Amino acid sequence: MRSPYGLDIVESCLSCKIREHRLFCDLPPKALETFENIKFATAYPKGAVLFVEGQAPRGIFVLCKGRVKLSIGSSDGKTLILKIAEPGEVLGLSATVSGKPYELTAETLDPCQVNFIKREDFIRFLRDHTDACFKVAEQLSEKYNSACHEIRSLGLAHSAAEKLAQLLIEWCNHNGQEGKPEARLKIALTHEEIAQMIGISRETVTRLFADFKRKQLIQLKGSTLVVRNRAALKALANS
Amino acid sequence: MDAFAPATCLQCPMRGEKVFCNLSAAALQELDIVRSVGLYPKATTLFAEGRAPRGVFILCSGRVRLSICSDKGKSLTLKMVGAGEVLGLSATISGKAYEVTAETVVPSQVVFVPRKEFLRFLREHRDAALQVVQFLTQDLYVAYDRVRSIGRPRSRRARPA
Repeated sequence: MRSPYGLDIVESCLSCKIREHRLFCDLPPKALETFENIKFATAYPKGAVLFVEGQAPRGIFVLCKGRVKLSIGSSDGKTLILKIAEPGEVLGLSATVSGKPYELTAETLDPCQVNFIKREDFIRFLRDHTDACFKVAEQLSEKYNSACHEIRSLGLAHSAAEKLAQLLIEWCNHNGQEGKPEARLKIALTHEEIAQMIGISRETVTRLFADFKRKQLIQLKGSTLVVRNRAALKALANS
Repeated sequence: MDAFAPATCLQCPMRGEKVFCNLSAAALQELDIVRSVGLYPKATTLFAEGRAPRGVFILCSGRVRLSICSDKGKSLTLKMVGAGEVLGLSATISGKAYEVTAETVVPSQVVFVPRKEFLRFLREHRDAALQVVQFLTQDLYVAYDRVRSIGRPRSRRARPA
């Protein structure tokens, strides 16, 4: 079957096979039915902007497939990548709920399927379904947790090397490679984007990667990064 | 310390002024049953970052500092909070560890609601649940603002001509 950007679009939440594994989507039947009636399933290519920081909130974007880069602008015009959203995350949630402008800019890193719900429909949905309220509270808590984590990394890490080492360790843990002595990571971000994630310059990222390679902490094979000496990298992250 | 210790939330003179406290009489009566009140001196740690969430702390009076700490004892102030605010909300909802440390900076009165009772209270009072969602968005905005202010790379100083 042909579809845009090679995505296998799931038209109905009711028949979605992975719904139960997604925290937000695992709604009770009545709420799910309402949700199904108010959502619009859409497909976006890589590099599409779902919303920009400062824009009036139109609604929420439930990320079904693909990943989205969430970035925030500092007061002097620099961009910081707050996180890479994974499928299951609800984007634009705090703005939609509060009515304030979107706090972040969301740009797709891959072709994505996104379920969009208009703001007024979503607010009504929350008022009518306590379970949905709880799901939203859980999502917001998760985002708060991530933001606090970012504050700790950015504000309390001593050096650029420490920040980069911390990021690589987090990526290893996130990809389920905690126990492995040698972790392999598929890096989908440019040096500039990695710099934007940890608040350092692109030049410093390039220099540090060369430095880590020289010290045999990592190895780069195309877009795959192999963490060769995890213990040393971890020690650097905590130094 | 000011003698400010109303017997119940329902009788509290600030009830109408504080957002979370401005709930229906029925909801407040239920809250009165499950909560406990504490008067804490300055420099009391209500909860610490990394600890399992016991419940929420509603600040009735006083002032609390929320901070994020590193392993080496360095800390960053996230926010100073005043009366009417609900602390430990995100951790209580998610069940994950408290993300910040909360310490009183002046003598403070605090209402504590244990996690299990608080979640049950929210399920039974949709208004309170909606209120909690709004509080969480406010907490999130504070965190984003903090990220904005500390996240930018250091800019080079302009060389004199």
